[in-house]
Amino acid sequence: MSDVASYLWLIPTLPLLGAAVIAALGPTMLRERSHLPCIGAAAASCLLSLLALLAVRASDGVTTVIYGPWFEAGNVAVYYSMRADGLTAIMLVMITFIGALIATYSIGYMHRDPGYPRFFASFSLFLAFMTGLVLANNFILLYACWEGVGLCSYLLIGFWFAKPAAAAAARKAFLVTRIGDVGMFIGILLLWYYFGHGTRSLEYDRVFDLAREGLARGSFDPYVLLMICLLLLAGAVGKSAQFPLHVWLPDAMEGPSPVSALIHAATMVTAGVYLVARCTPLFALAPLAQETVAVLGASTMLLAALIALTQTDLKRVLAYSTLSQLGYMFLGLGCGLREQNLVTFAVFAAIFHLFTHAFFKALLFLSAGSVMHAMGNVIDMRRFSGLRQVLPTTHWTFFCGAFALAGLPPMSGFWSKDEIIAAAYFAGQHSSLYQILFAMAVLTAGLTSFYTFRAYFMTFWGELKVPPEAYAHAHGGRGAEPAPAAHAHAAEQPTPHQAEPHSHDQVHESPPVMTVPLMVLAIGAVFVGLVLGPTHLFQHFLDDHWMKPVFAEQLLRPGEHHAGFFLLALTIGVAVGGTLLAYWMYVLKPAVAAELARRAPAVYELSRNRFYIDELYDFFVIKPLTALAHLLRVLDFYLVDGLVNLAGNLPGFLGTFLRPVQNGLVQFYALLMILGMTGIMVAVLLR
Amino acid sequence: MMSEAQISALTGLYPLLIPEMLLVIGACVLFLGGTYRAGRNRWSGFALATLIVCALVLLVQIQPPRLTGLTGLFTTPLLFDPLAQLTRMLAVVSGIVFVLLSWHELPPRQTADHHACLLLIVAGTGLVGAANDLVSMFVALELVSIPTYILLYLPRHDEAAQEAALKYFMLSILSSALTLFGFSYLFGLAGTTNIAGILQVLYRHHAGSAELATTAAMAQIALVMIVSGLGFRITAVPFHFYAPDVYQGTSTSGAALLAYIPKIAGFAALLRVLGFVIPDGVVVVRGRLLGMALSDQVPILLWFLAVVSMSLGNLLALLQDNLKRLLAYSSVAHAGYMLVALASAPYLAGQNNGGVIALLYYLIAYGAMTVGLFAVIVMLHTPERPIETVDDLAGLSRSHPGVALAVAILCFSLIGIPLTAGFTGKLFVFFGAMSVSGSLGTLYTVLALIGFLNAGIGGWYYLRIVAVMYLRTAVKPVEAQPTRPGLAALAVCLVVTIGAGVPPGLNYVVDSMRRTAPAPLGLSIERLQAQR
Repeated sequence: MSDVASYLWLIPTLPLLGAAVIAALGPTMLRERSHLPCIGAAAASCLLSLLALLAVRASDGVTTVIYGPWFEAGNVAVYYSMRADGLTAIMLVMITFIGALIATYSIGYMHRDPGYPRFFASFSLFLAFMTGLVLANNFILLYACWEGVGLCSYLLIGFWFAKPAAAAAARKAFLVTRIGDVGMFIGILLLWYYFGHGTRSLEYDRVFDLAREGLARGSFDPYVLLMICLLLLAGAVGKSAQFPLHVWLPDAMEGPSPVSALIHAATMVTAGVYLVARCTPLFALAPLAQETVAVLGASTMLLAALIALTQTDLKRVLAYSTLSQLGYMFLGLGCGLREQNLVTFAVFAAIFHLFTHAFFKALLFLSAGSVMHAMGNVIDMRRFSGLRQVLPTTHWTFFCGAFALAGLPPMSGFWSKDEIIAAAYFAGQHSSLYQILFAMAVLTAGLTSFYTFRAYFMTFWGELKVPPEAYAHAHGGRGAEPAPAAHAHAAEQPTPHQAEPHSHDQVHESPPVMTVPLMVLAIGAVFVGLVLGPTHLFQHFLDDHWMKPVFAEQLLRPGEHHAGFFLLALTIGVAVGGTLLAYWMYVLKPAVAAELARRAPAVYELSRNRFYIDELYDFFVIKPLTALAHLLRVLDFYLVDGLVNLAGNLPGFLGTFLRPVQNGLVQFYALLMILGMTGIMVAVLLR
Repeated sequence: MMSEAQISALTGLYPLLIPEMLLVIGACVLFLGGTYRAGRNRWSGFALATLIVCALVLLVQIQPPRLTGLTGLFTTPLLFDPLAQLTRMLAVVSGIVFVLLSWHELPPRQTADHHACLLLIVAGTGLVGAANDLVSMFVALELVSIPTYILLYLPRHDEAAQEAALKYFMLSILSSALTLFGFSYLFGLAGTTNIAGILQVLYRHHAGSAELATTAAMAQIALVMIVSGLGFRITAVPFHFYAPDVYQGTSTSGAALLAYIPKIAGFAALLRVLGFVIPDGVVVVRGRLLGMALSDQVPILLWFLAVVSMSLGNLLALLQDNLKRLLAYSSVAHAGYMLVALASAPYLAGQNNGGVIALLYYLIAYGAMTVGLFAVIVMLHTPERPIETVDDLAGLSRSHPGVALAVAILCFSLIGIPLTAGFTGKLFVFFGAMSVSGSLGTLYTVLALIGFLNAGIGGWYYLRIVAVMYLRTAVKPVEAQPTRPGLAALAVCLVVTIGAGVPPGLNYVVDSMRRTAPAPLGLSIERLQAQR
């Protein structure tokens, strides 16, 4: 197994080098070739990840490698330690494969952007941190990478930093996730406090073993464990944008679409799910923490789905659907009840959904990006329709993604979502709380298929309608950047009316460098679930190479779980029902939607305004904080500055008293030395 | 009368003393040759070559044959254990840097004499680290001191330099007398001058036993005398008074030498005599902590010295405008940080990179950053455009951007900003002090907190240097062109400052420190903790 060790470190290092090369040479030498190091590194990492996957498959357990000490201070020693097990291997393959595809897509999407090298440098850096995050074998390294991906997310959301909305969104994302990160850091400090002593501090397996043994012996307080789990969960909730810290993700769509696809749909936002899954041995010991996970997940799932119903921005619909699907994953993780022998089943369901979701959600975002690219950065679904005529490839790929997201068989989303709903069902057999959560999950499944197809029908069906910016884009070819020049260009056109038939020729499908990755992802979205789900390949892989070697005996007991025909029929029925409803409302009778909004304005407005959560935060958090900040500024100016000046002057003031002693007379110095020595002597002897 | 064993132990040492012999022969050649011909490049080159040959011989002999039998240990005057090898290597490398640094500052007529003294000082410093006998240790210490007097007196036409040399001479003799007084008490106590023997006698008794109590008063007098005498060399308060006056008065290269070499010798002697590093073969009774051979008040004494040195050094450095005076007080402050490490050493016994490991690491880091700054002053100072005060560095970022960057890095290291050796050193020192547990835990936490506070104050005057270089413009820009030897010296200091601060250099240095201060014989760390 040592051969894994020989290349495991290369997986994050290659993208890191790529980022360094682009950052150093990008603006001067590489320029329009800046994507080469990024894609090369991503592809090489992907290859190595596949090798690692095969190696893990061939082995019978977990491989851990220590690449040397990172730091040792006090009684703590932290190492650059990495691990290769089933979970890591799957995450790695997913991240690097999708990362490589999206990087390729970005060549077309970011074409001619002035920040081209900066984009790929940040992108490559992100891949380095993300792979590092899943490879890390201790909490400190995990946390470092965790903050690293947060940084890259900030850089990429605010990629067009000249746009105020993008800068604000980047700041919001950074600050909101930071709230969770603080909790997580405190959780890690607690782990450090209780288990961190000695070498290999804070390595996962050691922490899990110590926690389990401590609980069994009674030397470790279960409430402390609960506290630790909840604090770690806070980090996960922030990073994975779960209620109540979900507000940053929809705004993060201000970043370029490939970024939305990679970071804010497929990989980074799943880091929270990964963390909770990784810490399953801890969470399984704290049932209350698990219930919290499940409740938060289910709330986010339903809330986001309700909001998604009325959004008109295509990318925002997808963003809320990401929230909702992440909620599903958390619900899945929360269903891993130890007493009911559900741990392996539930965790597998969550990770499986994470995996399939990455494919179809990346696909959807990239397709939306393709639409946006063709429409001259217009993403409001009310301003275009019927696009299947002009964007045939994008239409089909979006269709595949939507089909998968809606959870319709036999697409990948169906297999994984079905498992989660089944997990909730089994958990609900003994607990009324989980019965409610199960009902929420089924309801959300219906909502999901409805809003997904609503977006699909609004965008691709109906009468062909194209916004004027699209022509400007076709003429000007300014790339994806929202350039004022492009709009000016549009205004110059004499009659930029949508109905002009000849203009439609100018609305073009995206170049092959963008459509080919779309097609690859579409194939993935269609077949991944079919290949890995019913065959149980995925489940056995995770079982054999992650859960069995890592989890304690008591977590591994297989329960009797047979998803009955009733459950299957229910989920399919709900999904199909949602789809048909969307077809009826947005294709057959387009007037119905407007009528409905008019009839129930309160509900409609509530959903459209995202339940006013942003406004609530603004009123209860941001406004008071701003007021406090003003108050503090005044205090700072008069009180603190005064104190600081005093403190700054005090040492010098003290020094002036001591100065006369240094009078330059050698006999005086000798006297002082002897006096000092005598003083010390007296003190030592009389003590 | 020498016994047979002693004689054979002595003769067996000759091959191991080749580096020191080379240095002394080199010094003789320089003293004699200097009277025939003056010449800057010739004699500097010769001294450099001698030192490099020494370094190579040391590298070959890095692990000398171990002493056979315990008689050897308790008779030999010199012991070439890892601490000795580290001290000798450190001395030789510093010697190389000092030759490079002083290359263009010395008048050609004085070059040979200066370097002859330097070679003797290097030899003496190395021997202090290797001394296993109070007599050989005292002789080695004087082998450092006496050439230093001459070296300081060489620029004899300069009145300030004369005054500085005289001050140093007087006070140094006083300190040597104190040290010798303490040594004589130790001899009276143990009946032998062999350090391993003395430590064996002192460590033989259990803590709190009646035998130990009878020796306590005498041992404590010896302790205070020795610490006072050696405190002069490491510029610990209240034995530091000479430092600002002498640094300012003497030549810059002389000040650089004084800032570093006596610290190596002083700390090496403290480590040996107080029993922080015990020779392989001395048996320590369970329950006794290393470094507390003479008295159980050693940590308190060092605690006190550390606090006053750090605080006074930093407070007075704040007021200085003269660069060399500033560096003198900075040297006092850094001696305080190193004393923090030494004070916490008995309770750490080599774990956590605290204690002795932290001290040795900090010693290297301190040398690199301080000597580097002196190297810059030497290089840029001309009689027409002197570099005397901090303000004289104004506008350096424009006239000498590279050198300014180097000074900034060295200052950052002195402040303790990450990715430098100064940061890692402070981290080891303070975290080591904070991880002392037990009844004295609070006391050491306070010590670490005072240390942090001082590091904060220290940030102020080092940052002032950086700010002056980068933000102020000079009325008259610095014109001196950097010389090649000076740049080489600066480069060595920079490489150590950064190289020892970040992995893998960091790991390498720490590993070699670990070898130097291994956990005491048969006492694993856990057992040490359990005994408390």
